[in-house]
Amino acid sequence: MKNEITFQTRREFLRTTVLGSALSWTVPAFLADTFAALHGEAADSATQIVTGKDSTILVVLQMAGGNDGLNTVIPYSNDFYHKARPKIGQAADKVLKLNDDIAFHGSMTGFKNLYDSGNLAVVQGVGYPNPNRSHFRSTEIWQTASDSDKIEKYGWVGRYFDNACDGADPTVGVVIGRQLPESFFAAKPKGICFDNPANYRFMSNGHPKPGEEDMTEESYKKLNELEMSSPLPDGGPSMTSGDNANSGDSIGMLPAGMPMQGGRAVDFITRTALDAQQSSDEVRAIAARVQNHATYPQSPLGNSLKMVAKLIGGGLPTRIYYASQGGYDTHTNQINTQQRLLQDLGDSMKAFVDDMRAQGNMQRVLVMTFSEFGRRLHENANGGTDHGAAAPMFIVGNKVKAGLLGRYPSLAPQDLFEGDIKYNVDFRSVYASVLENWLKTKSAPILGRQFQPLQIV
Amino acid sequence: MLSPLPNERWNYETAAHLLNRAGFGGPPEAIQKLADIGPDKAISSLIDYEHIRGLLPDPVWAFPDPQRVENLRQAIKSAKPEDVKLLRQQENKIQAARMLELRGWWLDRMANGPRPFQEKMVLFWHGHFATSIEKIRGTPNSSYLMWRQNELFRRLATDNWLRLLIETGKDPAMLLYLDQAQSRKEHPNENFARESMELFALGEGHYTEKDVTEAARALTGWSYNAQEQKFVYRPTFHDEGTKTVLGLTGNLTGEDFLAQVVRQPQAAVFITSKLWNFFTGQFPSEELNGALAAVFRGNGDYFKPFLRVMFRSGEFYGDDIVRNEVKSPVQWLVGSARMLESDLPPPFISSAITASLGQNLFAPPSVKGWDGGTSWITTNTLLDRYNDAATLVTGTTQQLSADDFARKQGGAGGQKLAKLAQRIHIGGVDVEKILTPEERADKDSIVASLQHRLFQTTLTNDQQDALRDFLDSKEQLNDADILTTIRLMMSTPEYQVT
Repeated sequence: MKNEITFQTRREFLRTTVLGSALSWTVPAFLADTFAALHGEAADSATQIVTGKDSTILVVLQMAGGNDGLNTVIPYSNDFYHKARPKIGQAADKVLKLNDDIAFHGSMTGFKNLYDSGNLAVVQGVGYPNPNRSHFRSTEIWQTASDSDKIEKYGWVGRYFDNACDGADPTVGVVIGRQLPESFFAAKPKGICFDNPANYRFMSNGHPKPGEEDMTEESYKKLNELEMSSPLPDGGPSMTSGDNANSGDSIGMLPAGMPMQGGRAVDFITRTALDAQQSSDEVRAIAARVQNHATYPQSPLGNSLKMVAKLIGGGLPTRIYYASQGGYDTHTNQINTQQRLLQDLGDSMKAFVDDMRAQGNMQRVLVMTFSEFGRRLHENANGGTDHGAAAPMFIVGNKVKAGLLGRYPSLAPQDLFEGDIKYNVDFRSVYASVLENWLKTKSAPILGRQFQPLQIV
Repeated sequence: MLSPLPNERWNYETAAHLLNRAGFGGPPEAIQKLADIGPDKAISSLIDYEHIRGLLPDPVWAFPDPQRVENLRQAIKSAKPEDVKLLRQQENKIQAARMLELRGWWLDRMANGPRPFQEKMVLFWHGHFATSIEKIRGTPNSSYLMWRQNELFRRLATDNWLRLLIETGKDPAMLLYLDQAQSRKEHPNENFARESMELFALGEGHYTEKDVTEAARALTGWSYNAQEQKFVYRPTFHDEGTKTVLGLTGNLTGEDFLAQVVRQPQAAVFITSKLWNFFTGQFPSEELNGALAAVFRGNGDYFKPFLRVMFRSGEFYGDDIVRNEVKSPVQWLVGSARMLESDLPPPFISSAITASLGQNLFAPPSVKGWDGGTSWITTNTLLDRYNDAATLVTGTTQQLSADDFARKQGGAGGQKLAKLAQRIHIGGVDVEKILTPEERADKDSIVASLQHRLFQTTLTNDQQDALRDFLDSKEQLNDADILTTIRLMMSTPEYQVT
């Protein structure tokens, strides 16, 4: 335990002094005041994001492939709906009714349960102007929160990290999956990503004999300065406090600073190696130690949310988790596929909520789903649906404004655009609300301009 | 500014720096050879590559194939609805296999071809004119289009700036990627017009929105012939009206527009800054950038004479530049193979490695290309580099589980690939090739020789001690232990920079 605290201190020490050392190399002394202010800001944002049982957590859940929103949140009493979907339309006696007009798909018992207990908000008719029907491009638009005719380099989550989490632990973002999604792309990339914690580590090829220590791993740690032979004294070097961080007299013992400010690239990598080792140890320890308190479906999504629950229970300082569920590109024989996927989604979510409740963390967690687009109003000839536009988003949490938010888009022919229902809510209004009301940060610098936050929490 | 590096500073380390940056590095003998012949000849041996023979053959499918495209179109047209999907899937499979082959083909040229500098330039242009297969994969024969663009960058690698801009603008993959193919006078598409000023030639703040809309009008008529798979000018699409772009007025064409772009003083500043950044890892100071732009203009906007001055300059060998650039994933992989005189793993592993490290060739993340620099390094990619090093060095995939394959390939079939990988020769390092029997008999010599090869400098004393301790822990040193030593050296922050 002692060791861990020392480590934590050293890491924090390195991080907070990065700014100090870098600037003191390149900035004349008379700019010390500016520097002190900068450093103060860095310290502020650091204390904001560093863990603590109070900070809020967002779980982003991608429904990849373009979920058919019309058969998810169903306008079951609407004639246009049934006319457009003679084969795959869901009859009134098969759906889970929310009111006289709107119902969940019959397989969404988990969602109905959360809806009834006041933990689920349904944002109806979400989309964006000039919708794009390409999976690649529309996913990119949702991930980067860009206008449909603009290309953004970084993702909205990445810009949140860049803007609000400077100096944060790399585990400020955790992706359960094979690849970092585009939403995590950032000027200073953060966040870790794995589908199996066992793979998120340095893998030794040392083949130690039983009882023998693994020299390969030992050597790797030494080469990367991951082991402190003489731990820094707690509170020792005073550069961790903002006042005299610019004095510069003890800086000789520090890495030179951020490479972009004239330091060495290798120092940046040394710090990343330390972060990697630390987060790898943490994640694997938590995965082994923390137990789940709910029964999840045996599905990739179930397993992902199971892992997220463990990491939350284990106290990782993560603000944003990301998981995804694939398979929604239902061009053919949609009925069975979507039935299975929505059942899995609802049941996994319900298990996750139960787990969070048992942990006592439910009030800290908000889950938001999205899909790159909805689908056409009219079914196609193969018992499926083709790429469309607007669709619902789901928000789950203890503090959500539960119920149906926004308006259901009109299905009347004169209100359609090229066969698609039109959006009423820009998805960036939902992001804005999540950023401002849940993650407590200004949304305009992250989303490029001010979107009216839709009140969801 | 830009005065030549004094001859007395030319040595093994400066020669290594040149080879690392203008190429992908090499074994000690190659570096020593450059050190021996002096800076001028060393630079020339890399950049005057036109006479160098022994090129690797092109992929067998690298040609436009109107007949095949037409057959496919007819087959889809006459097929039953349920078969259409099958036909499309078949075609997608063919193209996916070709893209894999193409990635392997290019990496092979970088790692084993006789013109590493030319390939380095192709890599620069690919990142600069970033075009992704992801967007154009639905077009018939899409792999051919990606190869064709790659060949264009190779052909004009160090040629004239305006010629390259025009040919790239007319390149089929680019026409499709930035939607120029769909542009008509009735509704001009602004995508290529905008990016050619913002990202390719001038930079933000050096044009107006009005310039973008007017340039888009000038570019109308540039189009794509899907049948022949080549550029076509369609006069009926062209807006014959008067346009004003960047101060030039007239019935402008696409060529007129790009010529006016290159005429801007900023055009020379912009591209020389990007080249300096690519080859040094730093952005030039304003003063240096001015000097670079002047050299570029003084040589008629040709890249080769400009690069010759750049590689010869004292600034290029500055302390802030040497061994201070993060290796790109491609540089990491190709450079390792060259320095260790080992084979590249087969395409599906090589391309999976660079992709997992953040650089999927032919699929840059956006039209802005790769950020490069420290953005290559995250906790994930660093651990991946350290673990992939074991694969490269030992030539086995014992580090890679089915999960890894699934992750790296971005899809299912991980089990299958993992099994396949066990049987596949990945390369691996031949210890006898890189260490003499005398060196292998002495632990200090092993560390010294490998450092010389992998870093062209020395590690810290602590690191050398750690390596020595590792070797000392082995009673009977065997080749596997030496391979692990190499892997450990590659699992350091120092190995990630060049």
